[in-house]
Amino acid sequence: MATLFIDNAPYQVKEGKNLLEACLSLGFDLPYFCWHPAMGSVGACRQCAVKSFRDEEDTRGKLVMSCMEPVRDQARISIQDAEAVGFRAGIIEWLMTNHPHDCAVCDEGGSCHLQDMTVMTGHNYRRFRFNKRTYRNQDLGPFLNHEMNRCIHCYRCIRFYKDYAGGKDLDAMGAHNHVYFGRSEDGVLENEFSGNLAEVCPTGVFTDKSLKQHYTRKWDMTHAPSLCQGCAMGCNIIASERYGELRQISSRFNGEVNGYFICDRGRFGYEFVNSEDRIREIGVKGKPEIKDRDSLLRTAAARIREGSVLGIGSPRASLESNFALRKLVGEDNFYHGVADTEFDLVNLTLRILKEGTVRTPTLPEIESADAILILGEDLINTAPRMVLALRQAVRRGPGEALSARMNVPLWQDAAIRQAIQQDKAPLFSITPYPVRQDELATKSLYESPDDISRIGFAIAHAIDPDVTEIKRLSDEERMWTAHMAAVLLRAERPLIISGYGAGSEAVIKSAADVAWALKKSGKDVRLSLTVPECNSMGLAMMGGHRLESALDAVAHGHADTVIILENDLYRRAEKTLVDEFLQKSRHVILLDQVYHQTAEEADVIIPAGTFAEADGTLISGEGRAQRFYQVFVPDGPVQESWRWLQQLAEACGNRTLSHLRILDDFVLEIAKTCPQFEGIEHIAPPSDFRIGAQKIARQPHRYSGRTAKEAHIQVSERKPPSDEDSPLSFTMEGYHGIPPSAVVPFFWAPGWNSIQSINKYQIEVGGPLHDGDPGRRLIEPGDAHTPVFFAEQAAPFPIRPDCLYLIPQYAIFGTEEFSVHSPGIASRSPAAAITVARADADSWGLRDGDLLEFQFNGQEYKLAIQTNQQYPRGMGTLPIGLKGVPFMDLPGWIRLKPVERS
Amino acid sequence: MDIDTREIRFSAERLAEVYEIIGRYPEGRQKSALLPVLHIAQAEFDNWLSPEVMDYVADLLGIQPIEVYEVASFYTMFNLKPVGKYVLEVCRTGPCCLVGAEKLQSHLETKLGIKPGETTPDGMFTLKTVECLAACGFGPVMQVGATYYERLTPEKADELLEQFRKENKRATYC
Amino acid sequence: MEKLENISLTGRKKVLEKKPMNFLERIYLPSIVQGLAITFKHLFKKKATIQYPEQRREFSVNFRGIHSLKRDEEGRERCTACGLCALSCPAEAITMIADERKPGEEHLYREEKYAAVYEINMLRCIFCGFCEEACPKQAIYLDGDIAPADVDRKNFIYGKDKLLEPLLK
Repeated sequence: MATLFIDNAPYQVKEGKNLLEACLSLGFDLPYFCWHPAMGSVGACRQCAVKSFRDEEDTRGKLVMSCMEPVRDQARISIQDAEAVGFRAGIIEWLMTNHPHDCAVCDEGGSCHLQDMTVMTGHNYRRFRFNKRTYRNQDLGPFLNHEMNRCIHCYRCIRFYKDYAGGKDLDAMGAHNHVYFGRSEDGVLENEFSGNLAEVCPTGVFTDKSLKQHYTRKWDMTHAPSLCQGCAMGCNIIASERYGELRQISSRFNGEVNGYFICDRGRFGYEFVNSEDRIREIGVKGKPEIKDRDSLLRTAAARIREGSVLGIGSPRASLESNFALRKLVGEDNFYHGVADTEFDLVNLTLRILKEGTVRTPTLPEIESADAILILGEDLINTAPRMVLALRQAVRRGPGEALSARMNVPLWQDAAIRQAIQQDKAPLFSITPYPVRQDELATKSLYESPDDISRIGFAIAHAIDPDVTEIKRLSDEERMWTAHMAAVLLRAERPLIISGYGAGSEAVIKSAADVAWALKKSGKDVRLSLTVPECNSMGLAMMGGHRLESALDAVAHGHADTVIILENDLYRRAEKTLVDEFLQKSRHVILLDQVYHQTAEEADVIIPAGTFAEADGTLISGEGRAQRFYQVFVPDGPVQESWRWLQQLAEACGNRTLSHLRILDDFVLEIAKTCPQFEGIEHIAPPSDFRIGAQKIARQPHRYSGRTAKEAHIQVSERKPPSDEDSPLSFTMEGYHGIPPSAVVPFFWAPGWNSIQSINKYQIEVGGPLHDGDPGRRLIEPGDAHTPVFFAEQAAPFPIRPDCLYLIPQYAIFGTEEFSVHSPGIASRSPAAAITVARADADSWGLRDGDLLEFQFNGQEYKLAIQTNQQYPRGMGTLPIGLKGVPFMDLPGWIRLKPVERS
Repeated sequence: MDIDTREIRFSAERLAEVYEIIGRYPEGRQKSALLPVLHIAQAEFDNWLSPEVMDYVADLLGIQPIEVYEVASFYTMFNLKPVGKYVLEVCRTGPCCLVGAEKLQSHLETKLGIKPGETTPDGMFTLKTVECLAACGFGPVMQVGATYYERLTPEKADELLEQFRKENKRATYC
Repeated sequence: MEKLENISLTGRKKVLEKKPMNFLERIYLPSIVQGLAITFKHLFKKKATIQYPEQRREFSVNFRGIHSLKRDEEGRERCTACGLCALSCPAEAITMIADERKPGEEHLYREEKYAAVYEINMLRCIFCGFCEEACPKQAIYLDGDIAPADVDRKNFIYGKDKLLEPLLK
């Protein structure tokens, strides 16, 4: 600790930080633009100037940029010094000379860092009387709006997009007073993290285009702490609503999970909540008169009582909903609504994490890994946020080394970045096809899944001879495995990444072997295994049977009534099987949010709340339990699935759920009855939590129009809904300070209206939130000192004539079921085509765009092909989950139909 | 401007020169050769850098087109719009102004009928004002292509214009 | 020592005695005559009331009546739906839905955003004028008449149909 004198008062601060961070952490209001806690300092905007004094005698001092000066013991600075105050006021006045007077029409207004800083420095009246510089704006695609006239040239956009996220199509052009931040021409911003520009930009140059469709000021929205449902990363988000419509998703800081940033699928994939395809009404086939809750419950209960019931859970439903279904139908009748391959992969993953010796990494642990091995995973499409973390990880090693050698602190971003150049920490990526992370890799190999696992096991063997040796490796493979093993052994904090992406258990096992072998040799190793959906891990931890068995149970008459929880079975099993299953079932009761093929076949449709209309708990791929909260109470019968199931159980006379009423009851019951979930009751404060006898307000204290906004429905105002499930209130009445970290509905502090107010919620700037980052890890490795290695000896991948090994390919935009309801996401989903090696296509006499006819599991399919020179031979990929691509339980061998040559 | 009809491609001789420059830098750092290559490209393709030319340079160096635009748009020496055969760059910094650069500039403006940044209708001259050319002892200074013309007077400038008209050859930096 | 109940903290305590009325007071006639005299005197004075609504009083210059949404000199709506009026409204009686101006609508809306819906709940409005003060676009003024009475509460929700200044011919 160092003693820093600020305006002659001594403060204890951490050494190694810069003055700006120190001042902000101490709670001082010091304006800044270009500095960002995640991106360090460049000293571009000159806004954070303070006076620095040599010693006590020095009365003149000199102006320094606080973001560029490290904290030194006994340093004396002044924020209040008249010259510093004047300098900062001058800078903002100068920045504002070209800034338009368009706050009234600007989407950023009310959550604008430039507004806040202008007010903070006291620049109230403009003296600039001349014409302002103007630019032409670009169309940047469906996600972001571009309004260059508002730019203050802090360079944050470029530093985030290009330097931090690795984007290649946004840059700074021109010089002095006409610098332009944009693409070379109109077009979609390609990077998967482009949406963060809306938050990184301190003013309204880049704003959320989806918000523009239904624009509302930040102060006019009801916000709630939520979780992204797009993948299993568990990124924390803030969901915001007005007029019963979800209007914006912004990132919610969680230092352990997503830091400041989220991906575009998470940010823009929310529009299904407002979609026309939403299930909002109760539907009973043949009985259109049943529209209210009670008669539905009576009808459904009668049908459930009639026969033998089975329940199909869902990896995209909350823990509470799955638990309620499991209780309703009984443990023996609870099946997982996931494809069988996926079921096996996720269960294997869980077993490895629980019984193995290696932990999963948190986000900071990924970012500090010093050697990385990726086996079979196309990360940008299966766990997008991880790629952003890996991008920081590969720079960190060289950065730290240079920082020590040059005696330049790591936060000196421009200096360190310049010194690093293209230097990278070792990252090896072995995947079936070219992927985004290749640009970070020191070496990328493209191999079939079988061969990936062989290389994985061979690396493990090279690290620890206890792992079975792999025979018949090629010379090149032998060379690379030796090299990779040596590099991993040289590292201190290696990280092994694998997961469901390659669709191969052997690949996951080989990754586990590598990690365990490294652990055995004393490394502080982490193992990250991706899982597909937001609660895949929770469902696997809960336990249950395979979907296949459910299909069998109905086929053999063991069950005839099916309750499907938030699931489209046509995405989980082949069409013919599902058709037969649904036809054979006497009653199909579906609880879901959006219409899909299964809903067409269901007899009873029960409208379930989306993440914006329900509370619940999810377990991320890391094994972290986190809570998401309802944002608003929807009109009509929509409610949480767990609540529906509890009411259904009551109506059936099933007493197992009758003592559970609110969310807390469910959470406590789960923690009590399932030891694997012990601790989830502590991840967030209970519903009776109060601060000064108040609930925490979901609405900002400036929320407007509440005596008017529903007047067209009912002139006498309705009683605002009360929230019995959470410590949050649905109105602006309640506590507005800094609540416990798990229930922060939005970030705001006096004078800090923009998302930059996160600073005030952190113990120290850039560090964890007050009260610790939310969530609790439930999976910790077993205490076995010597791991039991997997011993598998896959044969080298065989190339079979007239056959193709087809593996699933995931797409960040397109694969996920709900996010494609956002028009922007849908417009970016890839073409539904099989990609194969060019040599293979040539041998069949096919070219790009030709149709490939094939058989898989007795079904015939016909899909267009694309060729790629870098694909290994004998293997192809199919983007799955897209519209127009039928479900196939991949990976698997497909048999090609002979091509007729004309 | 015949740029549209011509294929954007360096002659073999120029290409050898470009590869020689690229060869000076370590593998993976080809971007370092960007400035000299841009100068060659500008000289080669009618003294200005069209998006097509910049894309071609990006392709040669194996970098993103936007990385070329970024650099080319930063420096005033690169012309991003078509220019006349002779680009008259008049120094407008203090010392030259003291000895008559402003007079020289207004003389050229009236003589050619164009303002700074404009090109004469016959495509012969482009007038440009530039910052200090580092020849302050010999002001007023005007740079045309790679040549400095020093201690200029309106009369001398007239002579120069005549001479250029007669030569009718594109003046470039290299 | 004074008795406790007689102590006056203010020093103004006075004990009142109720006197019995005398004869004249008891017959009330003098008081009635006195009262009628005042009444008849007013017959010859200027009337304090007017025949509203046929007759109207002149408003003070800073009288705040019904709101009107203004147009600019070219007849375009000035409101950009920035929300500051709603924010400043202490009765929370204003709500609006913003929309983007589309190409070709430049003659309708002054700036690139406009209020697609703009509603004031006149039952809630307290005519404080904060909305007028907050408006950065000089788009709302409380320069109208007194809000008319009605028997249906619904009719007090004033939308753009009632608030927007009519186009001048």
